[in-house]
Amino acid sequence: MKTIINGVKISLRAEWFDKDLLDFLREDLDLTGAKRGCGIGVCGTCVILINELPVQACKKTVADIVDMTVLTIEGMSNKDDPLHPLQQAFIDAGAIQCGFCTPGMVLTAHAFLLKNNCPSREEIRKAIKGNLCRCTGYQQIVDAIEEAARHYRK
Amino acid sequence: MSNYDSIDHVIGASLFLDDLPEPVNCLHAAICPSPVAHGKLKKINIDKALGIKGVITILTADSIPGENQIGTIIQDEPLLADKEVDFIGQPVALVVAGTARQADKAVKLIELEIEELPPVFDPRQAAANGDFIAPSRTLALGDIDKAWEKCATVVEGRTETGGQEHLYLEPQGSMAMPDERGGIMLYSSTQSPTAVQRVTSRVLGIAMHLVQVEVKRLGGGFGGKEDQATVYAVLAALAALHTSTSTKLILNRQQDMQYTGKRHPYSSDFKIGLDENGKILAYEVTYFQNAGAAADLSTAVLERSLYHATNAYYIPNVRITGHCCKTNNVPNTAFRGFGAPQALFVIESAIAKAAGMMKLPAWRIQEKNLLKEYDTFPYGARARQCHAKRAFSEILHSQKWEVTQKDIFNFNKNNSLIKKGAALMPICFGISFTTGFLNQAGALIHIYSDGSISVSTGAVEMGQGVNTKIIAIVAHTLGVNTDIITVQPTATRTVANTSPTAASAAADLNGMAAKLAADTLRLRLMDTAASRLGEHVSGISINNGKILLKGQPTELDWHALISDAYLSRINLSAQAHYATPDIYFDKNIEKGQPFAYYVYGTASIQVSVDILRGIVTIDAVNILHDAGRSLNQDIDRGQALGAIMQGIGWLTMEELVYNKEGRLLTDSLTTYKVPDIHSMPSEFNVSFMEDTDNPHAVLQSKGIGEPPFLYGTAAYFAIMNALIAARPDKPMFFNAPLTHEKILHFLTCE
Ligand code: FES
Ligand code: FES
Repeated sequence: MKTIINGVKISLRAEWFDKDLLDFLREDLDLTGAKRGCGIGVCGTCVILINELPVQACKKTVADIVDMTVLTIEGMSNKDDPLHPLQQAFIDAGAIQCGFCTPGMVLTAHAFLLKNNCPSREEIRKAIKGNLCRCTGYQQIVDAIEEAARHYRK
Repeated sequence: MSNYDSIDHVIGASLFLDDLPEPVNCLHAAICPSPVAHGKLKKINIDKALGIKGVITILTADSIPGENQIGTIIQDEPLLADKEVDFIGQPVALVVAGTARQADKAVKLIELEIEELPPVFDPRQAAANGDFIAPSRTLALGDIDKAWEKCATVVEGRTETGGQEHLYLEPQGSMAMPDERGGIMLYSSTQSPTAVQRVTSRVLGIAMHLVQVEVKRLGGGFGGKEDQATVYAVLAALAALHTSTSTKLILNRQQDMQYTGKRHPYSSDFKIGLDENGKILAYEVTYFQNAGAAADLSTAVLERSLYHATNAYYIPNVRITGHCCKTNNVPNTAFRGFGAPQALFVIESAIAKAAGMMKLPAWRIQEKNLLKEYDTFPYGARARQCHAKRAFSEILHSQKWEVTQKDIFNFNKNNSLIKKGAALMPICFGISFTTGFLNQAGALIHIYSDGSISVSTGAVEMGQGVNTKIIAIVAHTLGVNTDIITVQPTATRTVANTSPTAASAAADLNGMAAKLAADTLRLRLMDTAASRLGEHVSGISINNGKILLKGQPTELDWHALISDAYLSRINLSAQAHYATPDIYFDKNIEKGQPFAYYVYGTASIQVSVDILRGIVTIDAVNILHDAGRSLNQDIDRGQALGAIMQGIGWLTMEELVYNKEGRLLTDSLTTYKVPDIHSMPSEFNVSFMEDTDNPHAVLQSKGIGEPPFLYGTAAYFAIMNALIAARPDKPMFFNAPLTHEKILHFLTCE
């Protein structure tokens, strides 16, 4: 049994299946980009993509990623590559303050833009309704997603 | 320059406390909290809990080698309850185990024998019982008793503002590692590394130099980690000391919401008197602050309420009284605005109520009473570089306010299902810690032989962009590009005796210290360049990494100069200290000049209320704000937008609900509602006055963190105006937060 995480194939052992997926990512794989803001599926800081769909890792177990393709924030770009245009847009728009919500916010937006690359501001708002940010007041986050959309049209 | 940390944030590479690699065999601690709000602690039975697999030890008050005391301003709070419990969630014991799960499991098996005592949750009740944290204070100006006779209108009333959960997205936490010579190395998610160091030293009974505290960054603070991070750090340190093993203590969200203090709820009485033209002649106010069961920062918070009682207005006759009331709630604490928002709500309620009586729009009264240059505050200081009137009139103008008012009136006349409302909010916020000695900071700069620069200060980065500002200040002062500068984690070993990152003053104080250190280095380097070039130092300057002689490039660049300085044995490190000048306060007469300067501005907020469903939409928020010569407009705008949303949240939706035993019922994100994306106004603009100088802070800038929070107050009054348009038969009420339930109740009940 295996899974692909950020492009890397990982074999999974059955005894891991019950483990909280967020703990598995953070503790066993050292992928600490996904954060535990609430642990009950309401803040969005732990969002990752499973088969391109945004999922709250704190609500899943390792069993949920068997034979799936997982993307965490660490996989959106790597240190030597230029930033993904969406990541660049977050920086440019000032959509980041403390940064704790940022990985989940970026991945949620990424999944959304993959499906809808010409969104209205209203649609953007709906897309990130499950992600809280206590710092920014959201305006710059919506700006960033709106700006990044054109890169998904290419 | 965008936020210094943002690249690491956006790729998931930035490390928060819970992301730090754990040392091998790291233990995990969990708190056993008091289940009752008040009682005598008779017995703690840990036998069953000790039987849980993985449990290493269970610590209680008896395990503390030093003093069982974590209070900072007033020493009235034990780390672990001893003989008495005073609030629900108070730490009684600490379980240390191999995993967090084992520790949590063991906590449930600890048996507490508590003889319950009657609790008090109402600050007015506490005041009636004489239960105060500290003596009450009164500030006065003019002769208020005589002034009432001259007033054409006198209005009295009562206001309530609720608490507020900080909800920084990163919960509280700490990791402690035993160090050599019996010391402790602490990583803490704190705004106050020195407070953590000092209290850890006191509790463990070891000298401060044996306690090292380091903070990389916080996932939000907002005041909630100014004093309240300390307890978790000290508990982790205590566990590490007892087990000689690294120990981590991280709260989950529910624990964080249950155990930690909030913004102080206030219950207040006001009396306001005006002449027939709407000029305020007299204002009397009494604040009953719910401090909770221990002082924490309550007296300082109340002090700021006293100073900001009259907001941005000049009132010639004033009496302001504040009671710091001791209750059996969790000790309440700092939260963005620090007592000023509570005070502002009362004066604005008084104005709104008076306006209703006088059949005048409230904004006319606001406008008539704004501070002007040299007006006196009730504590004797005078308004300087005062932009209150200017901000207000520019907003009136840019928002075509009178036209908007007419449009809203007409809209409301023609629509029965939706009512609109609007309000203006001028603000005035004093910058400096009101606790005078805290207005100091230190910085340490090293230039390495390759020319790269490392800066350490006492400021903690928590998303407010202080590190980005400090880099800009150092780059500007040394004449180099920002990309060769790194800011180090905040650490007590590099910069000592730091003040909390708070009071909107972190960039002012630490930025100034960094500038002074950079100035020292610049002078040394200019001397080096002068002797190398064989010229007089007066002709030398450094700009953009180039060494200039009388403005012309020379053969020297930054790297060559640094290498030269190093080989010439020039000291390439500098430390500096800054203390805000000219601030003082005499508590005996309650007069002084507690602030270095003031921040002004005005907000206009427009809302629509769906009358059948009671649903509020914030249509437009427009702000004109005085940020001095902003060090970074993008960062300052971000701070302003975020603060305004928190302010709107506090007064319109964030409601803490307790049962009658004092247990918080809204202790999760599903029950405690904070602004989400739906709360974002569709029109949301913050503009800065472009030409305001500020000689009292670094590079003419101004503090930005807290003042914009006050603008959110306009949302309450805008909604209230819409409600009155729907129910002109009913009086306004001043009981925040103005939740959906309260709105529906107002609209539907007789
Ligand atoms: S931690 Fe998963 S949604 Fe909050
Ligand atoms: S940037 Fe701090 S929570 Fe969003």
